[in-house]
Amino acid sequence: MSLERRPEEQALDRLILELREQPAPELDWQRMEARLMREPKPEPSRAGLGWLRRLRLPTAGLLAAATVVAAVVVEHRPTAVPAKLSAKASPLRMFRSVSGEPLNGDQLALGTHVTAGAQPLVVEHVGRARWTLEPHATATLTNSGEFLTLRLDSGALSAAVVPNPKPETFAVEVGGTRVAVHGTAFRVERSADRVLVSVSEGTVAVEPTGTHAAPSFLLRRDSRGSFGLDGHTGSVEGNASAVVSDSASQSHREIAPNTLKGAPRAALRAAHAANHAGSAASASAAPVAVPAPAPTPASSGPALPLQPSISEIETGVSSALDLLNGCFRDQAHSTGIHVVASTGLTLHVTGEGMVQSVTFAPPLAPAVEDCAVNGLRDLTFARSTEGLTFTRVFELTR
Amino acid sequence: MVATAHIGRVSWSEPAAASQRVPPVPAKLRPVTELTELIERCKAGDNSAFREVFCTNREAVARLAQRMTGRPGDLEDLVQEVFLQVYRSIKDFRGQSRFSTWLYRITVNVVLMQRRAARSRPVLQEAADETFGADARDLPDDQVARARRVAAFYRLLDRLSDKKRAVFVLHELEGLSPGEVAKVVSAPVLTVRTRLFYARRELLAMLRDEPALELVARELRLADSSEPLAEREST
Repeated sequence: MSLERRPEEQALDRLILELREQPAPELDWQRMEARLMREPKPEPSRAGLGWLRRLRLPTAGLLAAATVVAAVVVEHRPTAVPAKLSAKASPLRMFRSVSGEPLNGDQLALGTHVTAGAQPLVVEHVGRARWTLEPHATATLTNSGEFLTLRLDSGALSAAVVPNPKPETFAVEVGGTRVAVHGTAFRVERSADRVLVSVSEGTVAVEPTGTHAAPSFLLRRDSRGSFGLDGHTGSVEGNASAVVSDSASQSHREIAPNTLKGAPRAALRAAHAANHAGSAASASAAPVAVPAPAPTPASSGPALPLQPSISEIETGVSSALDLLNGCFRDQAHSTGIHVVASTGLTLHVTGEGMVQSVTFAPPLAPAVEDCAVNGLRDLTFARSTEGLTFTRVFELTR
Repeated sequence: MVATAHIGRVSWSEPAAASQRVPPVPAKLRPVTELTELIERCKAGDNSAFREVFCTNREAVARLAQRMTGRPGDLEDLVQEVFLQVYRSIKDFRGQSRFSTWLYRITVNVVLMQRRAARSRPVLQEAADETFGADARDLPDDQVARARRVAAFYRLLDRLSDKKRAVFVLHELEGLSPGEVAKVVSAPVLTVRTRLFYARRELLAMLRDEPALELVARELRLADSSEPLAEREST
């Protein structure tokens, strides 16, 4: 009797081998690590919810009954398909919005999927942003706290963001494209393979996600664009521009190490601390810009991260913006006219956390740049093995 | 030295007292001891230990999640959810099974929960042929063919029931023994063996309907039929 395997079986074995040899998928580990380490990761209150877990079905029944009662009493549009929220971390948190009131975005857990029904769904982050999910659209809250980020999974959303001196406090990610804003009213729509962005107020930067690279496009008021899902390609109409990196449209400065850092850096820290004093209540969520770890020899401590965390980067960005705004106010001649300047600031940060070079695109007045470069010399980021290069678009006003 | 992670920032405290340090152990035992120590530190809320657990195991978790789902789309969310679960429930890990088994169990459960949730949601449009991160246009022909075979095989795996797919992936792709698989899926070993048998049988039947994979079987059939002839010629 022959024990030879049939060709189909051999084929299956060969396919299994091929699948085994597939390399592990490459994900954005740094971003994930930053999220995991930044998240407070609250323990689900098992003691309090234990009975609820055991009574999941009856509870769901009661909840459904309560929802029906609420819908009968409160609902003004009985035919509307209600919106749906689901927080991945807590499957019990399935509820319906029937009142038509805006949802409180600050109460949404990270990772919450928000799906609009037949009516638009409004979510409000009080004092910061208000976004409207158009009918049947789905979005996921991927970053909460000071810098809000939504992932638009399907459909369209429009947003009105309260002007904030800090750049990119609100962003929408669609595939590999990131649409980041200052104080702006804009709309983002996801189609099968395109991202359509229209801006009714302010400035929007369109850039690839997961990188700190320079934005690919800048859209200003009354402009619109259609972009690929990679964040690199697209076409724009109206008051918009593709960001170019030729030397004529930018000013690049190398920064020599400063030997007298003590006083200015302390002053910068103090300024930053003062800047954050207003948000003392959320001090734990507002990381310090210039971490000052005890200087330990590299060999004695654990391995440094590849790059500073997102929070550390954004806090450094805030400090850079404070500095740049100060220089813009102090150095520019006062004419009594309200002036707004927009520039893309690219910082190259070494592994030691020092700013090595600065690029302004488009350039600012030489006096403003000199002032900024002097200040940026004293700005430090957390130490890392690779350092980083990132770009942020700033709007300066005086 | 102990690292304490605050939100968005890591600060360093003084090194642990000498008396608290773990005495040197024979090299052979070090990995197990280190892992146990790491887990204990995680349980004590040491975020740097959790970071180490994440860095050490993230690729294995991502690979298993990808093999279980067959789609790269939600992978990042899945892996993040797995490690959130690890963070929340590591206090419950008593060391009765291997840490990797426990981690596999969490991963399988997270993937299955996600699949169940996805089934209850409206199906979104999905790319017809995702080649797992590689742009097929940039690959040589044989690699394109291989990527297609892999994608086709994932489609077949996707047609298996959750239980059969889980045991098939854990045993055939991850290389776990049926006993280990039984611990991961909380089922008797005999049940695991039965599921493996039927999973394989169903896959063999499905192979005939999948053009990208039927080709592999046909090639092998041809090779089989030509081999004896070649042998005869050489003798």
